[in-house]
Amino acid sequence: MKDWQIVLQLIRFRPGLFGITVLFATLGQLAQQAPALVTREFFNILTDSAPVRFDLWALVALLAASGLAEIVVRFGVSWTRATFQFTVMALMRLNVFRHVLKQPGARPMPTSPGESISRFGGDLDEIGMFFRLLEMLVGHFIASLVAVYIMVSINPLIAVVAFMPLLLVALIANLTHQRVQHYRRVRRRAAARVVGFVAETFGAAQSVKVAGREEPVISEFQRLNEVRRVAALKDRVFEEVQRSTYYNAVNIGTGIVLILSASAMREGSFTLGDFALFVFYLERMTQFMRMFGFSLSRYKQIGISIDRVEWLLGGAPRQIMVEHNPVWLDGKLPGIPKVSVGEDDRLHALEIEGLSYQHPGSQNGIDNINLRLERGTFTVVTGRIGAGKTTLLRTLQGLLPPDRGEIRWNGEPVEHLAEFFVPPHTAYTPQVPRLFSDPLRDNILMGIPEKEADVPEAIRSAVMERDLKELDEGLDTLVGPRGVRLSGGQMQRTAASRMFVREPELLIFDDLSSALDVETERRLWSRVFSRDGATCLAVSHRKAALRRADQIIVMKDGHIHAQGRLEDLLQHCSEMQRLWEGDFSEEARKGNGAAPQPATTT
Amino acid sequence: MIVPRLEQYRHILREYMLPWRSRVLLLALMLFTSIGLQLFNPQILRLFIDTAVDSGNNLSPGATLWPAPDNTMNQLLMVALLFIVVAILQQLVAVGAVYFGEDVGWKATNKLRSDLADHCLRLDMSFHHKRTPGEMIERVDSDVTQIANFFSQFVVIILANILLLAGVVAMIFRENTTTGVIMGVYALFTLWALNAVRSLAIPAWGSAREASASFYGFLEEQLSGTEDTRSSGAVPWTMRNFTRLMYFRLRSEQKASIMNAAIFGVVAFCAILGLGISLVAGYLLYNEGLITLGTIFLFVTYTHILVRPMRELTMQVQELQKAGAGIGRVIELLNIKTKIEDGPGVPVPDGPLDVRFDDVTFAYNDTEVVLQNVDFQLEPGKVLGLLGRTGSGKTTISRLLFRLYDPVEGSVRLGGTDLREASLQQLRQRVGIVTQDVQLFRASVRDNLTFFDDSIPDERIHEAIHDLGLGPWLAQLPEGLDTRIESGGRGLSAGEAQLLAFTRVFLKDPGLVILDEASSRLDPLTEHRIERAIDKLLHRRSGIIVAHRLATVQRSDEIMVIEHGHIIEHDNRARLAADPDSRFAHLLRIGLEEALA
Repeated sequence: MKDWQIVLQLIRFRPGLFGITVLFATLGQLAQQAPALVTREFFNILTDSAPVRFDLWALVALLAASGLAEIVVRFGVSWTRATFQFTVMALMRLNVFRHVLKQPGARPMPTSPGESISRFGGDLDEIGMFFRLLEMLVGHFIASLVAVYIMVSINPLIAVVAFMPLLLVALIANLTHQRVQHYRRVRRRAAARVVGFVAETFGAAQSVKVAGREEPVISEFQRLNEVRRVAALKDRVFEEVQRSTYYNAVNIGTGIVLILSASAMREGSFTLGDFALFVFYLERMTQFMRMFGFSLSRYKQIGISIDRVEWLLGGAPRQIMVEHNPVWLDGKLPGIPKVSVGEDDRLHALEIEGLSYQHPGSQNGIDNINLRLERGTFTVVTGRIGAGKTTLLRTLQGLLPPDRGEIRWNGEPVEHLAEFFVPPHTAYTPQVPRLFSDPLRDNILMGIPEKEADVPEAIRSAVMERDLKELDEGLDTLVGPRGVRLSGGQMQRTAASRMFVREPELLIFDDLSSALDVETERRLWSRVFSRDGATCLAVSHRKAALRRADQIIVMKDGHIHAQGRLEDLLQHCSEMQRLWEGDFSEEARKGNGAAPQPATTT
Repeated sequence: MIVPRLEQYRHILREYMLPWRSRVLLLALMLFTSIGLQLFNPQILRLFIDTAVDSGNNLSPGATLWPAPDNTMNQLLMVALLFIVVAILQQLVAVGAVYFGEDVGWKATNKLRSDLADHCLRLDMSFHHKRTPGEMIERVDSDVTQIANFFSQFVVIILANILLLAGVVAMIFRENTTTGVIMGVYALFTLWALNAVRSLAIPAWGSAREASASFYGFLEEQLSGTEDTRSSGAVPWTMRNFTRLMYFRLRSEQKASIMNAAIFGVVAFCAILGLGISLVAGYLLYNEGLITLGTIFLFVTYTHILVRPMRELTMQVQELQKAGAGIGRVIELLNIKTKIEDGPGVPVPDGPLDVRFDDVTFAYNDTEVVLQNVDFQLEPGKVLGLLGRTGSGKTTISRLLFRLYDPVEGSVRLGGTDLREASLQQLRQRVGIVTQDVQLFRASVRDNLTFFDDSIPDERIHEAIHDLGLGPWLAQLPEGLDTRIESGGRGLSAGEAQLLAFTRVFLKDPGLVILDEASSRLDPLTEHRIERAIDKLLHRRSGIIVAHRLATVQRSDEIMVIEHGHIIEHDNRARLAADPDSRFAHLLRIGLEEALA
């Protein structure tokens, strides 16, 4: 899809609104011509050099009427323009955001969140601004046609000379658009880097503070700002040189008109009124020409912006950006579809066959994973750091796009992992859960109607009831950006509650224990297994989990190294032995008399 | 919404413009030249008209700039050429003005940006907990960008335009006193009218910006939490929130657009009024025989020129309104005082540090006491194991040691120095911490380790990495220390990220090391590998190990158990472990019960 097709597609989204905006803009431009015509008549009255159609007071009345019209039109165009621009940008933002949410959720965005925001913000605004330019261009063009008609009917020769600069300007604009594009791109990149850095710095404020490294971080910020200053300066000055070129072309044109009209005025074939009209119109033409050239270069610039927004789509076709979808700007918000559970949704067995994923640009990942989970069983994935445990959980759920492999739910192959492995089929507690700046209640429910959910039970399952009592406002507590007002353990228990409240067929935990103390965790596991027919898949190193497991998957370097029940693995698998010993032997040894040797009988 | 006072503008001007005064002067010179040329050009046109129409018949004496020509046609050509030359000259000067204006603007605002970022970064954590990074982008960058026009264009352009306005009125006055007075009144009326709408739009702009800030705050959070949203099946809910914020934004944008229209409406009205006045005045004076046709044309042109500074002024009023809203927020931000003021700089001594909490009571807010009369001492070189449930106050103790917060009562001392007396910079060099959530930059491994401090040589970084046993990991990175880490460290495993945090601490030479659940996310084998390195780190240093897991506190000399902000047990580890009634022994038993379950 070409850039112009995107522009067209956006206009088609609200053609009526755009049409009205263009109409208003055109009327506004035409109203602005009235003073020129009035001035011409005025001079003609004074010099008696043309048939007098009005007297002075009629002219003044005409002037007042045109002024009134202009004001009315301005209010109209301001409103429709803002609404149109915002609406089509809302469409693009919604489309892109919806697509981003469809992407494998654990795959890094192509850029940092800060930079993504500059694409969602500045770049999309740039595209929006183009419509303003476009509609003004149309208005100016029509008004200019009228002007040209009037000028030609007065004196064709002088009028034609007046158009010469237009050609010149168009030529200049075409010759220089490459540079414009280049400078603009450099500037945008530099700006995005600054914005990204601000986001990262304040996201890491505590780290910077405890490291006592405010100074070097700020000087890095200064350096990035300096890079942006230079880029912005080049961009702006070049733009100004271009603008000035338009004016000069037109000024030279005006000079030529002066020269040509000199003899015509002396002969009387060109009145002073005509001269006034020409000078006024030439200035209008300047504006039009400038806008024309500006639009050309701006069109190239929105090309850059469209490309940058397209980046957020991660390789998907760019049509997605401008697909016509509801934008919900009338104040009615989209409903949240109710999740219903059919018989097919009930889990009997989950089979994973040949599942593989490699992290881009590295050797890490998982390779050829085969696995079977039965209803009501507990599967624990263990292994050393970087063995691919989290990657396995993520790939299974489509949070990372698998390279190969098949997953079958009750024997039926699952086509779209990411769409399928969500509640009511599965729910997931990631290693580092992210919460959002909402009340705790919303972070748990995330759109499930409260009356249809058993929040207290979910909180109990996640062993969170005591935290809840300690929080001032209970479920109404605002958790702060990314949940920072909660402790690490509370965040993880909130995420677990979020999982339980969805009552999924399969519970997936990624190392839930890392922020929980022993007692809390023990209680959590016993509550998990007191849930009726709970099927669990968990990454864990903890013995409590390993002992409960119906099967243990030992991962090493992205492969399943061994698989089975704990006692078999402890006998035959050296990796399992090492993992097992690593965790507790030291504690048992140093625990003195109070700590009996852990029994290995099960 | 804060509408800033004049003196606040002045303060910002003085602070950030004064350093560039020579460039500002040059800029002013260029703008004044440009004004002079603009005033001169209509005179050329008048000369042209009077020469062409009347061939010098009706010229009034004061109106001629050149002696009457012998050859009218030649004269006309010369005048036309002069017009072109003056116009081109004016454009050149205008380009120069843009260059200097932009340059000064960026330099001044970059200074403001970095001052603001520095100020905010040094504010205490209660500030940071309330704001998303997306919001900080708005505050530190976007608001300042709006002020940029205040620096680069507004000040000089407003002055220049007012001067142009005055110049035009003076030129008309020179032609005809009455018309000059009328035009002066007209200009004053216009300025008054513009001023009247000036404050009209500020609230609308302010709420538009607020709506946009909360939209981007939401977006930033969402973009880094897609994994959670997706796997919870909460996409429709998120989309709903997204559309709701968009709806609020649209409403505020529409209101702001109406304000814009009002401003431009005033300009249009005044422009028409001005033309009307000059036509009527010209008509009457011409009929009296007081002025020439060329002078009427001069009136019309000058009135037309008047519209331009009015338009400019209005645009600047608009920028000013935006900048006003921006300056208001910037000043508001700069006025936030950190609760943690830098101490007078009593040094924290070298070597392993003695840690002392003297009857410390602490609360994050008024209602909830987190630590209650906590009183303990850790001798230099000893390692303290800190045990307790999540939320018991362990993390708070480590935060107090970094002086991220001050105790409400009592004091915290390191090596005998009250932390409130020490310099923050030195204090934080003397204490190192590894937390569970490692925050990374989208930058090279080196910059992530040094926080962009160029003064740390590569050898030291290599040394630290090898001490940690991370040599093999470094060797497998494609570009070594120059390898870029992706946003949020998403290319790294949680364990790798934590190993980077270890290296960060190794790069300082702290006298106290705090491991806040440091090994909780490492698998046992990796944990084993770095234990030797931790030994090295704790060697001849004091240490506090905050952990939920008993395994990680085995290296400590002393154990302290906290519950609900109270110390319920603090003693030698071996002694506590041997006492079957101790809380520690109880915890050990539960831990092992768990192992036996």
